Amino acid sequence: MKKYISFLLFLVVASFLRANESINGTNTDPCIWAGTMFEDFCDTCGCGGNGGSMGFGTGLNNNFIGLRYIGQKYRSRDGIFANSPWINENFNTVQVWGNFPIGKRVLVNTLIPFHSHNRRFSDNSEQTISGIGDATVLAYYQLIAPLPDSIISIKPKHILQLGGGVKAPTGSFKEENLEGSVNPSFQLGTGSWDYILAANYGLTHRNWGISALVNYTIKTENSVSYLFGNQWNLAVNTFKTYYLSDSWSFTPQLGLGAEFFEKNKEFGLLVNDTGGDVYFGRLGLEANYNRFALGISSMLPIAQNLNNGKVEVKNRVMLYLNFNI
Amino acid sequence: MKTIYKLLLPLFSIIILVGCSDDDNMQELTGEGIVKLSFDNAVGSDDLLLGSSGYTNSQNEVLTITRLNYIVSNFTLTNDKGEKFTYPKDDSYFVTSEETGETEISLTNIPAGRYVSVTFGIGVDQEKYLQGAEGQGTFLAKAEATNMMWAWQAGYKFLNFEGTFTSQSVTEPTNFKVHMGSHGSSLDNYKEVTLNLGTEALVSDEMTPIIHLVADANAILDGANKLSLSEQAVIMVSEEKSPKVAANVSGMFTVDHVHNGTGDTH
Repeated sequence: MKKYISFLLFLVVASFLRANESINGTNTDPCIWAGTMFEDFCDTCGCGGNGGSMGFGTGLNNNFIGLRYIGQKYRSRDGIFANSPWINENFNTVQVWGNFPIGKRVLVNTLIPFHSHNRRFSDNSEQTISGIGDATVLAYYQLIAPLPDSIISIKPKHILQLGGGVKAPTGSFKEENLEGSVNPSFQLGTGSWDYILAANYGLTHRNWGISALVNYTIKTENSVSYLFGNQWNLAVNTFKTYYLSDSWSFTPQLGLGAEFFEKNKEFGLLVNDTGGDVYFGRLGLEANYNRFALGISSMLPIAQNLNNGKVEVKNRVMLYLNFNI
Repeated sequence: MKTIYKLLLPLFSIIILVGCSDDDNMQELTGEGIVKLSFDNAVGSDDLLLGSSGYTNSQNEVLTITRLNYIVSNFTLTNDKGEKFTYPKDDSYFVTSEETGETEISLTNIPAGRYVSVTFGIGVDQEKYLQGAEGQGTFLAKAEATNMMWAWQAGYKFLNFEGTFTSQSVTEPTNFKVHMGSHGSSLDNYKEVTLNLGTEALVSDEMTPIIHLVADANAILDGANKLSLSEQAVIMVSEEKSPKVAANVSGMFTVDHVHNGTGDTH
């Protein structure tokens, strides 16, 4: 029943957006916000398991479609003892993502991930899971919309977006991947309909900019009675754009991020060694050439306590190529 | 402004929907199922690896453990309503052995329910022993095959713990043997423990929980009672020391976690 309701809701959101489109189909120019803002938010415990998403909302009044690669490295304890072996896990994700403003105030962000995760156990056996992940659609309402770039302003420009969306269980969740105490997020998807509430804030002044985001993912129980804990993502980024010519610009970025996970539940009972928090430092660079944006960024953990210390994030790398439509 | 309402409507629907979505958690548990108990032997917080380089206990003795076998028996499960289910006594005796890897036992035909604690004995109770050799069923042969018997007169070894050690006074690696039992019917070292599961173990036709217990071998000599191997390296039929070992052994078990599910995974 839950699924039907969710699907209906999905349709409601979709049709609502379509309706808006037909009323108001303007297109705005690319601007300084393009690509630099909100693309770096992530799930720690594996894209599949804890949200299937690494970023909604990029260039704010910017139409784009792009491809993004995200590599994440983890290690997790294979067993309950202090001398249990660590195993390495590599999470690889390619996302097709796009941002589609509808009218002046509404922005839709969609994201379809493809995962290929692998891990090697202490007996040297390897496990790989590959396939489509959980697709996400988000809609933002721009409470404070950016001014078009054609209007030159010497005052700081603000931007504020509030929104929400759904994550559909298009990625598979397999109970047999929940072996032992190993990372419970070694999955392609959560297997559940999850709901996201999000807010983005941005401020630019001349070539400088700062952006902040917060979002909360509400997860539901999947068909095998597993429930991933709800999740908070927070991030702050600063950036500065250097214009080399009319067609070339570079934007280095520096930021901080935090992620909080509530404990998972199975059959309504709390699962040991789940939940936790992690804090990241982030370094990135985006190059813009005409309508193309090429970005690279890296996130390194500053502090973490995930799954009672039994899962550790080592690093994340992102690479993307966007084309402004 | 209208657009705000349009957007808020689906958002509120989401919130309401999520608020309602947890209600179908309490499914009825019916029928009967299997409860597995997995005994993970440890030394302190480390996994026990037989024959691996020694560990040092609080008495500054360095032990290399080569054998850890013990008898567990008389299982009773208590559910969330406080009702006890006692496993049929004749089927309720098991040897767990680190060297053979037989460290998981299965209790079958457990009535459906949400179990919150488990009670079991370490060793063989007098009632069972006094049924004589014939009354032991197949368990007698099992105990003999796993080095858990003295002669019948002396009875079962409840614990068989062996290895080598060194200490300040014993510098050459020296064998130790700790065999604890009830000494026929003259000294009763049988003990029972009750452990809370921490989380509920769900049993039904479909649900087969695994209760993961940790047994800390360090507690055998280094538990509430301190027993020095340098003083006595072979502890068997000792009226003074074996009750202390029995008390230590009854305190070596904890429940690490319960894995609920269909029983296919750990």
